[in-house]
Amino acid sequence: MHTYVVKRLLLSGITLLAVLTLIFFIVRIVPGDPARVVLGEQATTQAIDAMRQRLGLDEPLVVQYWRFLRGALVFDVGKSMVTGAPVLQVIGEVLPSTLELSAAALVLGCVIGIPLGIWSAVRRNRFADYVIRVASLLGLSFPAFVSAILLLLAFAISLRWFPVMSSGNSTGLADHLRQLVLPAVNLALIMAAYITRVSRSAMLEILREDYMRTAIAKGVPPLAVVWRHGVRNALIPVVTVTGLYLGILIGNSVLTEIVFNRPGLGKLIVGSLAQRDYTMLQGLMVAYTMIVVAINLMTDLTYGFIDPRVRYE
Amino acid sequence: MSEGTGLGRALRHHGRQLLRAFNSNKASWVGLVLFLAVVACALLAPWISSHDPAEQYMASRLVPPSAEFLLGTDDFGRDILARLLYGARLSLLIGITATVLALVIGSLIGALAGFYGGRFDLVIMQAMDVLLAFPSLILGLLIVAMLGPSITNLTIAIALTAVPAFARIARSPTLVVKQREFILAGRTLGYGDVRLLGRHILPNIAPEILVMGSLWLGTTIRVESSLAFIGLGVPPPTSTWGGMIRSGFENILDSPWLVLWPSLAILICIFSLNLLGDGLRDAIDPKLRGEG
Amino acid sequence: MRKLVVSLTFAGLAYLAAAPSALAQKTVLTVGVATPDVGRLDPHVATSNADRGIVAGIFNGLTRFKPGQATFENFEPDLAESWISNAGKTEWTFNLRKGVQCHREYGELTAEDVAYSLQRAADPKRSGFSADLAPLAKAEAVDKYTLKVTLKNPIPSLLGLVSNYTGGFVVCKKAAEEMGVDFARRPIGTGPFMFEEYKPQQFVRLVANKQYFRGVPKLESVIYRYIPSDASRDLAFESGEIDMLFGKQDEPWLTRMRKIPGTVAFAIEPAELNWLNFNITAKPLDDVRVRRAMMLAIDRDGITKFRGSNANRVAISVIPSSDQGAVDLKLPPVDIAKAKMLLAEAGHPNGFTIKMIGSTNPTMATSLQMYQAGLSKIGITLDVQPVDNPTFHVQIRKDLSPLVPYQAARFPIADAFLTQFYLSTSTVGTPTGVTNFSHCNVADKEIISARSELDPAKQKALWAEAQRKILDAVCAAPVYESFVLWAHKDSLVLGYELKGSMNLGPPILETTHFKK
Repeated sequence: MHTYVVKRLLLSGITLLAVLTLIFFIVRIVPGDPARVVLGEQATTQAIDAMRQRLGLDEPLVVQYWRFLRGALVFDVGKSMVTGAPVLQVIGEVLPSTLELSAAALVLGCVIGIPLGIWSAVRRNRFADYVIRVASLLGLSFPAFVSAILLLLAFAISLRWFPVMSSGNSTGLADHLRQLVLPAVNLALIMAAYITRVSRSAMLEILREDYMRTAIAKGVPPLAVVWRHGVRNALIPVVTVTGLYLGILIGNSVLTEIVFNRPGLGKLIVGSLAQRDYTMLQGLMVAYTMIVVAINLMTDLTYGFIDPRVRYE
Repeated sequence: MSEGTGLGRALRHHGRQLLRAFNSNKASWVGLVLFLAVVACALLAPWISSHDPAEQYMASRLVPPSAEFLLGTDDFGRDILARLLYGARLSLLIGITATVLALVIGSLIGALAGFYGGRFDLVIMQAMDVLLAFPSLILGLLIVAMLGPSITNLTIAIALTAVPAFARIARSPTLVVKQREFILAGRTLGYGDVRLLGRHILPNIAPEILVMGSLWLGTTIRVESSLAFIGLGVPPPTSTWGGMIRSGFENILDSPWLVLWPSLAILICIFSLNLLGDGLRDAIDPKLRGEG
Repeated sequence: MRKLVVSLTFAGLAYLAAAPSALAQKTVLTVGVATPDVGRLDPHVATSNADRGIVAGIFNGLTRFKPGQATFENFEPDLAESWISNAGKTEWTFNLRKGVQCHREYGELTAEDVAYSLQRAADPKRSGFSADLAPLAKAEAVDKYTLKVTLKNPIPSLLGLVSNYTGGFVVCKKAAEEMGVDFARRPIGTGPFMFEEYKPQQFVRLVANKQYFRGVPKLESVIYRYIPSDASRDLAFESGEIDMLFGKQDEPWLTRMRKIPGTVAFAIEPAELNWLNFNITAKPLDDVRVRRAMMLAIDRDGITKFRGSNANRVAISVIPSSDQGAVDLKLPPVDIAKAKMLLAEAGHPNGFTIKMIGSTNPTMATSLQMYQAGLSKIGITLDVQPVDNPTFHVQIRKDLSPLVPYQAARFPIADAFLTQFYLSTSTVGTPTGVTNFSHCNVADKEIISARSELDPAKQKALWAEAQRKILDAVCAAPVYESFVLWAHKDSLVLGYELKGSMNLGPPILETTHFKK
């Protein structure tokens, strides 16, 4: 077990390094110039050059790369090239919004998805099963921005139940939650679709297990069996899958943040891409990669502990 | 056994399975019919709508559905139906090309990694994990920004986001297949790697990959439309579904239909592919067969 | 148990749905701006529309544009109470207002601060507008309240140069030196509003400067909210979440806003000129007949009408019509037959295909589509390689596109526009390059001598001659001018008549308030 953990950690480290390198170069291949963005369209070539020098963009790529790597090691990703604000501070300020949204979506998605998946499995090939499966397929088919716009049209524009924007200064907890509802529901519905499908197939497997068959044969009411033995076991794959779908969740959160004008990592990344804010982009990508790698690591390790058969080959 | 004796037989074998599964799963028929309808609309676009998708009727901007403009016009006075139909061509073109590209490259990588194993496998799969570590939308975003938005670049970007998935899918069955007797027998007979891979391994993993392909087609179309919505799609005046929603969103207060029609189109297209892919997967995956 | 959960959920939802949105505090003005986030709030580097609007509330100039005006006349005293110059207009003395306080206890503003500010704005290392201040030789404090400005040569626009616009804004020296680059995130000025708070991607909040020299502002705070999507901004405005907004910059938006009860919508100066630059050194554009043919094929009136005549007007010259010194050149109307003839004369009877770079920015892309449509009538195909807006701006400055569609307004005096876009030393791809995309060099003499011409009538004549020459050489095909569009609730009283704003947004003054 020990060597497994060490090996896994080492691999994560290598992955991280590779990703950091990739990020650095991709970001710089993107045409455009942050100095130009900062100084605007009226600036002379001379002024642009002075700004490039100040931002450290005139140094050889290798030097810039080295500085970036050294900084990344101690979590110092520099200052935004456009606003001059420390990247970490900016990320720190929007991160809570993203985490809040993801967490709300995840919880809501599980609350909707797991019971539906189990119900669907128990009622296999009956009407409820068909409805749930088609519904979950439909949920999978929604690009997040389409569902977001539809929710916005229905509940913010037509019914006016919720505000159209989720950013800005909320005046209290109630207001804050009101702003969270639509974006969270949007992500949760798509998340629920995934979770429903996974928990359904996990439950189907479990229902086939001998102890379940025995229990049912013994005359224990099916619901009780499901509750006692099934749900707990079905949760394990759901946890893994949640980690697996994190990428999708992040992608969807970008789109959701744009439609609802909600602050967050996703909107930050689109904004800094438009402004060619190299340092901000790097910082964000480092943050994303660390989150993804950490979660992959955690799921893998958890799995390794739970089920010794699953060891990294 | 039919194993290891060529692609044709493997496909025929799986074809029978497929038909059986299809017959027991009406949803996949619905999916197939819907998807073919979308394809037909795209192919027959000039015959369905007489308008040019880029033609601006300055006198009829933002008109609601009428006999002249069946689904109305947008803020440039362009016929929405025509733009939807031609947009379908683009979505399908990019989606299918990117998927095929990812499928071919990804499964080759995966099969090679699985076949040779060892350090080669480790390095390749770790590289795939690196790619996989990026959320596909964000990876696409970066690549498109790097290359510039054109049909080719978008296709490449979207394909790249899907390559690691295919590599992973192709690798595991290769690991299993290469342990089978007939491969080991082939080796003792002195068959070369190329022959083993090409004639014996690839055909055996092909069905699974093809099924994944149909499922991924929905994803690539979704990523394309998402990029277009963010503003990194094929640039105007070319019509794309995501781009139509993007510009429609800016007019959502006046004319919500600008958003609703392309949303519906995307939804139908992806939903049909998901129905279809789901049915296909049940057909291929013996563990799930009969439960559909 | 389940019932309890269900009813709790419903109660919660009902509560959330019914909770009233925050009642608009009548002393808090919320403005919706179109940029995704703040840039730099240092007035000497601030370039985005939103940033410039914000710094305009924080800082003052020595003089100021009349609030609500964007024309180059009648500068009002701002930090300076009066000024005189020598006969040669090269030495200017400004008498400063006494007792002006810098925000946040940074002390009284003196001539020392103003001198520092002007030097700072002229320094390319610390300012994006150093080129504008190139004629500045010296700025020195004679005493605490007297400032002397010496110029290398007389310029037509000194009072504009020291006005409340870009390099003219006065920063407080102590704060700027103390904070260095961080000044952009904690700006200290003397204006009616002080910087208070910033939340990334969300808002910047300014609060009233109670010590403001024109009196205590009636508004307690001004919040600028970053809402890049036009639709979201509109929605937020209609639901009362914001009181004033930068509009979607097109006619339908203006029309719709004007129909909403309780809303005032404005189309304000400076109107930006939209035009097409021809690189006169690149084949086949090096033939003036080709350029003239292309100009004749673009339907100026048709395009303006299509874009809407409330939010736009037809261009009259190669510079914006509201610039001081602009003349009506009586641009020739669209004439396809003549255009075809010229093309044939130049040896392109069937037209040609030309590669160019275009921006995917919606406004620019739309204009380009209309130019494309016009040119296709004479057989010219624009093979546009679209790139996103930042890339576009970098590539056209590297002289990579023979045709450059552009949209701009500058400091409202002919000199600024002529210099940046048509003076040979501003040619892109050269070390002194700015935005002369056409490589135009036909009016250098007039542009330069107009600068130091002290007789206003002669100066005007020189500018007129420059414009005529540029048009004759067809360095550019002017098309239309687009106003800046804004709207606000009619309960808001700006405190002046709004016709224009050099800082591209309605100025928020100490007198701005909400009706009861």
